[in-house]
Amino acid sequence: MGLTSTHFISYQKIQVDTVDIYDDAYGFNKEFGDVMNLLDQVKPVPGKRLTKRLIERVRQMN
Amino acid sequence: MKKTMSDYELIEQFVKGDQSCFETLIHRHKNKVFAYISLYIRDQALAEDLFQDTFLKVIQSVKSGKYYDNGKFISWVMRIAHNLIIDHFRRVKQLNTISNDDYESDLFNSRKLAEANIEDHLIKRQIQKDIRKLISQLPDDQREVVILRHYSGLSFKEIADITDVSINTALGRMRYALINMRKMMEEKKISLTFN
Repeated sequence: MGLTSTHFISYQKIQVDTVDIYDDAYGFNKEFGDVMNLLDQVKPVPGKRLTKRLIERVRQMN
Repeated sequence: MKKTMSDYELIEQFVKGDQSCFETLIHRHKNKVFAYISLYIRDQALAEDLFQDTFLKVIQSVKSGKYYDNGKFISWVMRIAHNLIIDHFRRVKQLNTISNDDYESDLFNSRKLAEANIEDHLIKRQIQKDIRKLISQLPDDQREVVILRHYSGLSFKEIADITDVSINTALGRMRYALINMRKMMEEKKISLTFN
C-alpha cells in the first residue's frame, strides 16, 4: 500500500511564508496559468538613471 | 550586512542618521513600487515622477514619526503610492490616456543586439506591448489588483487593506480581471509565440 513510505511533517515545518493562502485556495495560478505566463513577459523595472536620480534627491533631503 | 537587515531595522538606523540604510530600502523595494505605478499610470514620465515622490513621501512620514512597524513596510509604501496616484487623478479629473509608445525606446541603439536576434526582440517587444495594452484596458479596480498581486507580490490581505475593500472583493476582482484578460487574449489572438 505504500503507507509506511510517507513522511509525516509537523505543522511547524510547513512553509507558507511565500504562499498567499487565498491565492492558493482560489487556484488562480492553476486555472489561469496561460494568462499568468503572459503577464510574466512584462517586467517593469526602474532604469538606472531613475534610481540614481531618486537617490540623489534622497541625499539632498537629508 | 545591511542586506540581511529587516525593513524596520533599516528604518531605525536611517532615523538615527545612517542615510545609506534608506538607499538599501530603495534597492530592495524599487521594482515592486515601480511596477505598480508604471503599469497603472501608463504615462512613463508621470510614473517616474510618482515613483520618486512615493519614496520622498516615505522619508517625510518616517521622519515625522508616522510609520509604526507592523512588519508590513512595503504594504505601507504601496499605500502611499496608491494615495499619490489617487491624488493625481483627482487633480487631473480624468483618466490618463497617453499611449504606451514611450516604452519603446532604444531598441535600435543597442550595439549588442545581433542582427539575427532583431526579429526575436521585435516579436518579444510586440508581445510586451500587447500585454501592457491588455492590462491598460482592464477596468481600474481590476487592473490595480492584478498589478499589486502579480507584479508587486502583495498578498490579497494587503491588497484589500490598500484598496479599502474586503478580501473577497479583491479576490473577485482578480478573477474577473483574469477572465477578461483571457477573453481579450483570445479575441486579439495574443499568445507566447517566441521561444
